[in-house]
Amino acid sequence: MIKNKEGKTTKIAVKRGFSLKGIKGGKIISGLFFASLIIGICFAILYPILTLLPMVFTDLRELGAPDSIWIPGKFGMNSIEFVFRSVLRGDPGILLKSIGYALSICAIQVFMSAMAGYALARTNFWGKNLIFFLVIFVFLVPRQSFLITQYLHFKHFDILGLFKLFTGGDVDLINQPATLYLLAIFGFSVNQSLFVFIFRQFFLGLPQEIEEASLIDGAGFYKTYFRIMLPNALPTILTVAVLSFVWAYGDTYYTNYFHTDGPYFGVIIDKTFKDANNWYINNQARQWFDTADTNELAFEALKQASIVTFLTPLLLIYFMVQRKIVENLDRAGIVG
Amino acid sequence: MSKKGVKTRRKMKYSTSRKLNGLIFMLPWIIGFITFFAVPIKNTILYSFNKVEVGAAGGIELTFNGIQNYIDLFVSEVSTTSQPIQRIFATENISIFTNLSLIVIFSLFLAILANAKFPGRGMVRVIFFLPIVLGLPLIVEWTANSTGRMMIESASGGMFGAENSVELLLEYTFLPKKIIEFLAVVLSNIFQLFTRTGVQTMIFLAGLQSISPSHYEVAKIEGANRYETFWKVTLPLLSNVLLFAVIYTMIDLFLNSSIAEEVYNFAFAKSKIGVGSALSVVYMINVLVVLVIVLIFLKAVKVIDKK
Repeated sequence: MIKNKEGKTTKIAVKRGFSLKGIKGGKIISGLFFASLIIGICFAILYPILTLLPMVFTDLRELGAPDSIWIPGKFGMNSIEFVFRSVLRGDPGILLKSIGYALSICAIQVFMSAMAGYALARTNFWGKNLIFFLVIFVFLVPRQSFLITQYLHFKHFDILGLFKLFTGGDVDLINQPATLYLLAIFGFSVNQSLFVFIFRQFFLGLPQEIEEASLIDGAGFYKTYFRIMLPNALPTILTVAVLSFVWAYGDTYYTNYFHTDGPYFGVIIDKTFKDANNWYINNQARQWFDTADTNELAFEALKQASIVTFLTPLLLIYFMVQRKIVENLDRAGIVG
Repeated sequence: MSKKGVKTRRKMKYSTSRKLNGLIFMLPWIIGFITFFAVPIKNTILYSFNKVEVGAAGGIELTFNGIQNYIDLFVSEVSTTSQPIQRIFATENISIFTNLSLIVIFSLFLAILANAKFPGRGMVRVIFFLPIVLGLPLIVEWTANSTGRMMIESASGGMFGAENSVELLLEYTFLPKKIIEFLAVVLSNIFQLFTRTGVQTMIFLAGLQSISPSHYEVAKIEGANRYETFWKVTLPLLSNVLLFAVIYTMIDLFLNSSIAEEVYNFAFAKSKIGVGSALSVVYMINVLVVLVIVLIFLKAVKVIDKK
């Protein structure tokens, strides 16, 4: 907002009528070139998804017909139906639960990392620079490199021997939903140090006068933070929230290792569509939808149908919030 | 005199209370750092120098065996694809270096396109940011080898395959063969590259939007053409963003590399925790070394300002 203080020396921009477009029709040619570039890139980005659709919306009995490539020979929704019946075990609640999980992780992440980012940017607590260095360091160390010990740590979870003192044993946090929430609360869920960094950059850019003014008006530290700072941070909150939601919903790393049996759509698809399950899946499809005996393509089609089902809520939410993010991107403070 | 004394004391108290409140805000993260990061990292390093066995009571028994785990890792162990571990590291590092530059340049290019004014820009931006969603590891994995894609590609005559593009370029351009081969490899990987660009495009676009238009006006008045404006105005002002994008891309590539799978494989499939920990330590050092090399390189080409 007031970040850039150019404008102090107002320069009068002399507008000269440069007219370099001498060539007739040059504008149309460059316009066409630009348009084809844009369309080409859009196609390349969408291509992986576009290739899924024809097979997913082909009737399972018609799969593998050689004369249909982009347009299904016979339109059918039964692969999607299969996803709901078999992969989701007839319980669409799983889909809602994984969205709910992603939303709650997202809320926790935004709340906790905004606090940490604010502390790093606007207060001068002891060891601030060290902590900031550690935040960067955590982001740089790949999380898989301490997977084993983190796993064992959760398997025999204990904070400084406190649990042993009270309950007489350590706590097994593997395969507990609590583990994932604990990670988010204490700042170590998916890419959370990145979010702390983004919030820090944003809060650094706010003018110093805000705190002085709110102090004069009699607002304390917490009131200033919750009433003034957070509402101002809305563009950043939105950006971080979308990233956090997408990553939490699509996360199979933490969910798979620390809560394998949980209702997470991604993990379930990952487990269902192992090559070893090929026969089982095909057999099920054969019984329910009367597909041909030899049709091995059903497995692939069903796998792709589940990807499409998995992506749909994600894309819907993404499209809803997208416009707001783009509008506020320059104020989101990711730039620093 | 006394009034002044009161004032300074109150001010000092205010600043200490701010420090304290800041620490309270930071406290969850610090606790998390110790329990979820520092302790596991310490244990990883510890285990990598020990023979790790599961004891009778279910606990973990350590017996110190020096650098035996590291020797095992590089001499006798093989990866899931039956290759020596060194080769995995070598191929991954090479591909990360080439992909890193390609992805960063690509995303900068996308951001510049998305920043231009043209009808339908909103829609194009939506699609340009879509890789944030489509770049999720599991979606990339599932869509990369789908049968539908194979069918479409075989029907279109392998339009995007490397061989096809080599032939096409050889016939219609006069570029040297080496360059064409490189281009062909890039082209055949283009969908993979695009899935990694989402966040970087967003950061670059934010950076481009935050450059004040007066810079461009000045450049125009001084008589700079578009090319000069890009190199002399846009790029220097994006240097912070560029640094961030490079580091982000690098970490992202490492997180999705096959080394990560090997760690999992050693620990859970082969249950060799000691060797797995040694691999983790090498992996960690590898990332940090590559980071330092990249930073030195960026400093050498003066992308980063000297501090």
